[in-house]
Amino acid sequence: MSSQRQRARQRIILPVSGDLKAAGRLAVLAGLLWPVQAAAIAWAVSGWVEGEVEPAHTLGAALAFLLAGLVRAILDHRAGALLFRAADATIARERAAMIRREARATAGIGSAAVASLVVQKLPLLQPWITRYHVAMMRVSVLPLVLLALSFSLSWVVGLTLLVAGPLIPVFMALVGMAAEEASRRQMDEIGSMNDMLMDRLSALTDIRLLGASERATVDFAVRAEALRVRTMAVLRIAFLSSTVLELFSAIGVALVAVFVGFTLLGEIGFGSWGSPLTLGEGLFLLLIAPEFFQPLRDLSAAWHDRAAGYAVVADLDALDAAERASMVGSGEEAEPLAGAFSLRTEAAVAALPGREVTLPDIVLGPGDALAIIGPSGAGKTTVLAAIAGLVPLAAGRISVCGSALGSGTADGWRRRIAFVPQRVHFADMPLGDWLDPRGTGADPWAALRLADAEGIVDRLPEGLATRLGETGGGVSGGEARRLMLARAVMEGGDLILADEPTADLDTETATRIIAALDRVRGEGRAILVATHDPALAAVMDRQVAMSA
Amino acid sequence: MSQVLRIVRRLVGAAPWAMARGAALSVVVLVMGAALLGLSGWFITATGIAGLAGVGIAFDVFRPSAGVRFLALGRTAARYGERLLTHDAILRALAALRVAILRRQAGLDAWALARLRGEAVLTRMISDVDALDGLVLRVLLPSAAALLTHSVVFAVLVWLAGLPVALAIAGLYLPAAVLVLWALARRTQGPSDAAEQGAQHLRRGLIDMIRDREALILTGRLDVRERDLMGLDAAVRAETTGLDRIERSAGALLSVIATLAATGAFLAGGWMLAEGRVDPATAVIGLFVALALAETILPLRRGFADLGRISGAARRVGPAIADLSIVERPPLNNAPVLRITRPDLSLTLAPGEALALTGPSGAGKSTLLLAIAGLLPADGITIGGRPPDAWSEASFRTRVALLPQRSALIAGTIRENLCLAGGFSDAEFWASLEAAQLAGTIRARGGLDERLGEGGHGLSGGQARRLALARCLLRRPDLLVLDEPTEGLDDATAAALLGSIRRYLPRAAILVALHRGADHPVFDRICRLDGLR
Repeated sequence: MSSQRQRARQRIILPVSGDLKAAGRLAVLAGLLWPVQAAAIAWAVSGWVEGEVEPAHTLGAALAFLLAGLVRAILDHRAGALLFRAADATIARERAAMIRREARATAGIGSAAVASLVVQKLPLLQPWITRYHVAMMRVSVLPLVLLALSFSLSWVVGLTLLVAGPLIPVFMALVGMAAEEASRRQMDEIGSMNDMLMDRLSALTDIRLLGASERATVDFAVRAEALRVRTMAVLRIAFLSSTVLELFSAIGVALVAVFVGFTLLGEIGFGSWGSPLTLGEGLFLLLIAPEFFQPLRDLSAAWHDRAAGYAVVADLDALDAAERASMVGSGEEAEPLAGAFSLRTEAAVAALPGREVTLPDIVLGPGDALAIIGPSGAGKTTVLAAIAGLVPLAAGRISVCGSALGSGTADGWRRRIAFVPQRVHFADMPLGDWLDPRGTGADPWAALRLADAEGIVDRLPEGLATRLGETGGGVSGGEARRLMLARAVMEGGDLILADEPTADLDTETATRIIAALDRVRGEGRAILVATHDPALAAVMDRQVAMSA
Repeated sequence: MSQVLRIVRRLVGAAPWAMARGAALSVVVLVMGAALLGLSGWFITATGIAGLAGVGIAFDVFRPSAGVRFLALGRTAARYGERLLTHDAILRALAALRVAILRRQAGLDAWALARLRGEAVLTRMISDVDALDGLVLRVLLPSAAALLTHSVVFAVLVWLAGLPVALAIAGLYLPAAVLVLWALARRTQGPSDAAEQGAQHLRRGLIDMIRDREALILTGRLDVRERDLMGLDAAVRAETTGLDRIERSAGALLSVIATLAATGAFLAGGWMLAEGRVDPATAVIGLFVALALAETILPLRRGFADLGRISGAARRVGPAIADLSIVERPPLNNAPVLRITRPDLSLTLAPGEALALTGPSGAGKSTLLLAIAGLLPADGITIGGRPPDAWSEASFRTRVALLPQRSALIAGTIRENLCLAGGFSDAEFWASLEAAQLAGTIRARGGLDERLGEGGHGLSGGQARRLALARCLLRRPDLLVLDEPTEGLDDATAAALLGSIRRYLPRAAILVALHRGADHPVFDRICRLDGLR
């Protein structure tokens, strides 16, 4: 636990410790100005009582008070700028690292979880960075200075503060631990409620058609109410901790006020050093007593921020440690690989996270059509992925256009192939842009015609400007496949890899897909399909079987 | 602005009493804070004067010192109550808001539902609702409490310390604070909304990039997309940096205002003292009260800086909670279950009849079925004698069930998925699975309590579809409308499925859109839809 916190500090705090220290120094300096302001008031009022009521006396004190207040505001402002800079730099750094990593080597924890970490949780580091360390520095200086000032005037006041002060961290620790645990539980609860809501929203059409809208809504309301009850349980504890702190500071300040009052009346004759307490000293003590407690209360508020910060870092660490599926090459724009088209796999073994798949030996020349057949789970999809460089090899080799498929050639190789995945996914963009992933600006209608998808686009309410649902809401399964095929045609290249292009389709729809693939092949492109559909396999030149 | 007011009404209306008690306690806390410091300052100065004059014995120390203790403890207790009450009230209000939004979303038409992109809608909704809690908790309540407190304090100070002191405090605090907060809200309005929108774009972009990863790698666009997202992040952070600068400056100004007000009260007290109108103990009251009143304005800065984000959220959420009202009417019993009279199609369907609807892709079969199910405008269609939109949603759904072309399952067990149709016994669940030709598969996979992943992950496409079909059948509707129920099945299974559906619902009118198998004996008639082209 403590080593984890150590690492969290090293990762988040150490890189910005310079700014944090500078901001802390400014904040301490600002805090030290309050005794100056208090002294100006105390001096003026004690003068009033002794009859010095002329304007110059009052004006002088007011000016000192005002000036110190202005300087205090400026110092706090400057400290805030440094703190914001530190937090911003940290969030920018962590965010950039994740943006550059999560698509290149995906961790398989779900895109929504990664996005929520990047967008929602990373900013939770900010309160920790901006509040905790400054609060810590102020706590280590200001109460001691104010305590010393109090002791120098009255040992009873000093003692009162000394007793009340240290009790605060003790209670804070006790209450804080309970609050930390409770707030962690609540975070989990909110997370699962969000998951539930997302799931219900994506099934909303079905929920409505089943007449279940009201039931689903009521169910959701019940869960929201349960969440409120749990949250209130957390808040009762969390607020209790700050109330205890307030209580101590209130009692401390009230005791100081009453003691000073009685002393000034002469009813208490002890507590000061030699000469009795004067009015000015009494007022000064009253004014600085609340500021003795303030840094302690700030620190306790920041305590929760630190806990939240640690929780975020734990999430970041977990993501760092996650097993990742890597790829070959960089996924960046490259010149098409030179050379005549050819593909050959030799004793290649694809390395999936936790599993290896042996590829059948395949040879493919220009215009060839090959089907990889076999039952579900045999690894047909992995074969296509390995050939596209989406999965690295553990052994053997894949030769493409005469050179080995590797980090130097993968991006250029991918320029020469197109891939039709089995899973339907439409990015959140107009259909026209989606059909033209390389942004060539070419006319999509020829490709749509070739893939038998012209009529589909004609029928969409906004044609090529339509944004389809993520899994193709708005078109049928067969139509989505034909659109994906049109996209592969638009990409161009010498080889189309198609993963189960007829899965889950009826014979008539499948026949249209097969016919479209056949037309594409007629244009001189090689085709490699993974399928368990005998009708599709039959129209290919050759078949390679894989077993489970 | 009207949307903001509407949200305020709804938020406050969800728990008006808890809200009012919380607001009252806020004022109590602030007033007690001011009274505590004022009384303490007066007490010490007065005891100092009494001590100097040697009349300490005659001075009544007990009432003021008891007052100091009472105010100190009472204020702490009131603060605790205030926090609990306002948070409880706002949580109630926010839960009510979420439910209202979900209910409204469920009433959208078919096209809007199909375009609902889970994450985007959800995260938008969540962050909007989160933003709205600040409206009451950080803007409305504290502003109202601050104004009330200043009014109370002004009245009391006029009576206790004299008009000049009261005027110095109110005159310096109120106009300046209002001006600073107004300027803060105005200047942050745009950037705060823009930063929020940018963050949502960033989130959506990231989700799309990860989901679309393979396509991006294959087309060599991964770095381009990464650069886009980095640019988006830079833009968002530029907005937040600007926001922070404006907000910090406002904070510094508010703290200067507090210092100025304290100085003003001090000078006013000193002037009245020099005029001989008050004694020194009374003259310090204003100063101490002014110091305490700083806590009425300093906490307002956060809420006002967020107003842009809040009103953006209110603008989006506002229309999403407008109430839908559908008038219920008594059923008509003698009309056919379904009658369609349109230029391209005319048919009636009686209980126990089954009709196959064929036609080329794109002829509008799915659109027709969605219209029959009341998800799209339905000209020329009557169900039981009246148009779909003349039924109440609840009674319509018990009569008509549609299996749409794309069905969605929820994460959870097979049983939980079936339970969306309502509460049924295990025997009824199995009977419907049997009718959907899925019982064998489910039994082999571990029965009703087998868990499915998000979106029904774990079943093949055909199996997931037949589970959705079983869910429809459970409702035992008067009119069962199926869109391509046999897509993806071999001919033998498809034929068996149609037969078992008929046996399961012998009295229902059944309308099936399909490409092949329209010659199946369950169908009494075949109707062809050729489209309007």
